Amino acid sequence: MAEETLLTDDFLRQLINVGEVDILVGLPTHNNAKTVEPVIQAIQAGILKCFPRERAVIINADGGSQDGTPELVVGASIDDLRKDDVRRVSKVYALRTLHSISTRYARNPEPGTALRTILAAADLLRAKACVVVSPDSTTMEPDWLQRLVRPIYDDNFDLVSPIYRRQKFEGVLMRNLLYPMTRAVYGYGIREPYASEFAISGRLATDFLANETWNDDSGRSGAEICLTVAAITGKYRVCQTFLGTKAQPDRSASDLVDAMRRTVGTLYWSLGSNFPLWSTITGSQPVPTLGTQSEVTLESIQVDRKRLQEMFATGVAELEPVFRSILSASTLAELQRIATLAENEFNYPADVWAKTVFEFAASYHKSVINRDHIIQALVPLYRGRTLSFVLANRDGSGEEIERNVESLCGEFERLKPYLLEVWADRK
Amino acid sequence: MKEIVITELTQALQDLARGFAHYLPRLVVMLIVAFAGWVIAYLLKVLVRSILRLTKFSKLSENAGATQLLNQAALPSSTELLSRFVFWIAWIGFILLGVSVLGIVGLQDYISQFFLFLPRLFVALLILFFGLLAANFVSRAALLAAVNANFRSSRLLSISIRIIISIFALSMVFEVLGVGERTMLIAFGTAFGAVMLGLAIAFGMGGKDLAREFLERRLAAGKKEEKEDELSPL
Amino acid sequence: MPLKREAGWYKDAIIYQIHVRTFFDSNGDGIGDFQGLAQKLDYVQELGVSAIWLMPFFPSPLRDDGYDISDYRTVHPSYGNLEDFKTFLSGAHDRGIRVIIEMVANHTSDQHPWFQESRSSQDNPKRDWYVWSDTDTKYRGTRIIFLDTEMSNWAWDPISKSYYWHRFFSHQPDLNYDNPTVREEMWKIMTFWLELGVDGFRLDAVPYLIEREGTSCENLPETHEVIRELRKKVDDQFPGAMLLAEANQWPADLRPYFGNGDEFHMAFHFPLMPRMFMGLRLEDRKPITEILQQTPEIPDSCQWCLFLRNHDELTLEMVTDVERDYMYDIYASNKSMRLNLGIRRRLAPLLDNDRRRIELMNGMLMSLPGTPIIYYGDEIGMGDNIYLGDRNGVRTPMQWSGGWNGGFSAADPESLYSPPILNPVYGYQAVNVLSQKRTEHSLLSWMKHLMRTRRSSPVFGSGSIEFLYPANHRVLAYIRQLGKETILVVNNLSSAAQAVELDLGRYKGNILIEMFGRNIFPRIGDLPYLLTMGPYQFYWFRLRRI
Repeated sequence: MAEETLLTDDFLRQLINVGEVDILVGLPTHNNAKTVEPVIQAIQAGILKCFPRERAVIINADGGSQDGTPELVVGASIDDLRKDDVRRVSKVYALRTLHSISTRYARNPEPGTALRTILAAADLLRAKACVVVSPDSTTMEPDWLQRLVRPIYDDNFDLVSPIYRRQKFEGVLMRNLLYPMTRAVYGYGIREPYASEFAISGRLATDFLANETWNDDSGRSGAEICLTVAAITGKYRVCQTFLGTKAQPDRSASDLVDAMRRTVGTLYWSLGSNFPLWSTITGSQPVPTLGTQSEVTLESIQVDRKRLQEMFATGVAELEPVFRSILSASTLAELQRIATLAENEFNYPADVWAKTVFEFAASYHKSVINRDHIIQALVPLYRGRTLSFVLANRDGSGEEIERNVESLCGEFERLKPYLLEVWADRK
Repeated sequence: MKEIVITELTQALQDLARGFAHYLPRLVVMLIVAFAGWVIAYLLKVLVRSILRLTKFSKLSENAGATQLLNQAALPSSTELLSRFVFWIAWIGFILLGVSVLGIVGLQDYISQFFLFLPRLFVALLILFFGLLAANFVSRAALLAAVNANFRSSRLLSISIRIIISIFALSMVFEVLGVGERTMLIAFGTAFGAVMLGLAIAFGMGGKDLAREFLERRLAAGKKEEKEDELSPL
Repeated sequence: MPLKREAGWYKDAIIYQIHVRTFFDSNGDGIGDFQGLAQKLDYVQELGVSAIWLMPFFPSPLRDDGYDISDYRTVHPSYGNLEDFKTFLSGAHDRGIRVIIEMVANHTSDQHPWFQESRSSQDNPKRDWYVWSDTDTKYRGTRIIFLDTEMSNWAWDPISKSYYWHRFFSHQPDLNYDNPTVREEMWKIMTFWLELGVDGFRLDAVPYLIEREGTSCENLPETHEVIRELRKKVDDQFPGAMLLAEANQWPADLRPYFGNGDEFHMAFHFPLMPRMFMGLRLEDRKPITEILQQTPEIPDSCQWCLFLRNHDELTLEMVTDVERDYMYDIYASNKSMRLNLGIRRRLAPLLDNDRRRIELMNGMLMSLPGTPIIYYGDEIGMGDNIYLGDRNGVRTPMQWSGGWNGGFSAADPESLYSPPILNPVYGYQAVNVLSQKRTEHSLLSWMKHLMRTRRSSPVFGSGSIEFLYPANHRVLAYIRQLGKETILVVNNLSSAAQAVELDLGRYKGNILIEMFGRNIFPRIGDLPYLLTMGPYQFYWFRLRRI
């Protein structure tokens, strides 16, 4: 898809009127009217408080909202068309015009296209820093903008990845698969390779627009991961910054499959084209981090462990013919053994999980069966791993959980040669 | 009497020789055609094999599940199979062409029928191949979706879909080949109807719990979902 | 011969602000004088201005550049005498140039005979002419204006052993306007000058005339009463004479000074000025349009006075802290440029001597609604000397030529009242009237052309203003209208080329005629009117329907 067709005439005209900016805040939306207002206010406050002299713009890439989300976003602009005399009473005063413009990139949401539109705008407007924010982040504070943008401004970083304060059982996929795998494969310990808030430099935005990611469906659907991978493999300067509590949007069960497609699927896809790079990397290096490395809250949360165990066991049983195409015999046998364990003894060991993930990656690469089916097949196994993680950490403190995650990462790194083996072997 | 026999024999031998001499050139032509046909068929086989290798046909057949089937039946790979098939068809075709040169009446009809039959055979094979491919793919997709939605009888669902699609494909194959069309049609209709009826009864009576669970989950999406999925993966 | 006073002459005027001391020295004593000023009236006439505003020239110890007055009825001996003034005045009027002088009404010098008498004893008849108190606790909470030098609004007088009130320097005691005798006396003084032929007064520091306990002692109703009284007398006895208020306040607080057309004729629009500079560097019209949106309507007979720079610091009193910090960082990075919540620099140095920026700012000055004032020397792009104390850096000798003392005086350079600007960029050898007169495209020639163009239409002085808000926020565009005449002004505040689409639907069918070159631009049609503009470029279009 050529870049030109991304920008409608009307959007382009609005971009012309905005002109060159220093900070671009991108907001991809689809029917987020319920949550977007506090986000917009936090963005506005962040700009006015921390970057009052910077030229800034809010770009909303909307995927066909029906609930008036774009109008809410556009209402955030600060310009001289408003005649309210806020000058004397307002504590936060705007020195400059703040544009807030919206474009509808499609009738239905396509996450990759939203990001691409935002990057195209950042490129055209020659933004020094481009921040992407999720419209669901109701916990966002004005300070977040500063924490994301300052490293780019002051220290010339190219990618600023977030670190969140999480409930101890949140983000299991991130902590058990995406983080360890990215770290082991690409050698960089980025905790949130698929983030809903992040910032990139103008340089990286321009370069990433030319990336091959956009030509492939798998790449496009998980473009955020591809961006992280591109930043790591392209020798850009990467850092992490602690933000705050992550807001969790309402989700339903079907979203898990979709989430895995976008994250795991894309991550696997990226391995293919980047093989020459990651195959030679051993170990991992830490990423410069501003603020704490991780923060975990211990408030309790309801987990239906029985259901998890059931779905895992059912999955292992029913999907056996599928697994036979994907997994090695020994790993499959292990899984079948684990499926027989009772709920209170359940344990999906780290090394077995690592091997599972790696074998899936290799099978994905070889397309032993349809790739989307491979990802779907991983879901019940992931549920098993979730159960195992929950059980192992149910009484753990924040530090203990962190240690467990670290040791899982270690396991992934240790088994990287195994990944290389299965990658080459299967013929 | 001896003279009549000798004369008859001589006559017969002469007839035979004449007949032989009459057919010999044609026989030679037939052999030449057959030989040429062998060479061409061989070349075709090599060509087809290269094309199939280039287009990664083996991957496609793996996806179709054909490779696994063939492996289990201890047959060579699908690429090989197909190339050999092409070879044999081509060579038989040339042989028949040669035979037609012999001018044996009656045989001509069968030969031309054979050649007319070839395209339909090809189409039937295509349908069979893609039918199996579809059956495999769709049944697997259904299996995965059902497992991930925590369906009780996901395996059953998957197998049913596979059977239905396979039967459908098979009956289309037979229809195209024109082999026992009506029989196959009736058989398929009956089988399909029976399966559907069975499923309906099973779903209605035996699966009514399953049905209820399904509906409940769909309609009471809010409450139940939250309790189950408070854990968010990202 | 006095110029016939017409009502409302000030609405269409262009004012030139001069300090006698700095303009031209005729007698070689190193200080400018009225005879010298009279000799330069031809230059002023050629410039194209219609009025001169003279800074204080009354006798004074000169501790506040003449704003501390010790005699209201004559001329400081350094500048000449009353006869010289009359000669100058007559010369100005002969050339059609009106003269406005300063009337420092709020306070006098502590050397003024009145104060000398007032302080001599508690029973002196003039005791009540000033504001005395036994304690310094009255009128607590009143802000201090000269923050850099004064600690309090009260000063202790050792002679009368009591405190006197001064809103400015401690050597400038405030007059007591609650005393009718004071008011009478001031009126007599004003009458004296009006009878000589002066065309108007700039009344200095008017918000502070009256004090009341428990208030900010600024803008009080009683002050307005004093002004109304004054205005009535002026209208009755000297119709056509103009009163100009110097009141550094927010527009809403300035509005009362026009009354219902029964107080001042004109007032300076102080808050607009820093915002023009801000808008220029931000490359965003927002500061400008917002302050003008907040500016209230004034009576028809009244007029705003607009200016870019003057003899004082560029005041940042009427801006927010964020804005002030921005202005300081951008325009006064060197801390010695900052004074009293303001920036003491001339126009050209503030704009980095960028000719295009200077033109743009002057263009806006001449096209926004109000009467523009040009500070002497800014028409040739004079520089400043921030190392001279107080605000003297912007009050250096006028640069007439590249020769001896810049052509200002025949005296020894060391004896001049102030050293001239000497550096290679702004010094008198580089920047002077003589060399700029010779070139067609010098700043001086351009300024003359600008003023000629402005004078070609009364719309600029008296017309209405309506802002267009094109989506490109770097472009400031507005329509000026008076009767049937319509002028479109478009300013590019950005240092880069810009494209802008203007919604001129209401004026569809009009042809645009660019006013400087008088060339025709395309007719306004159905589509938004597209203009492409170079860096800092501005257009004045006359709309004509033919």
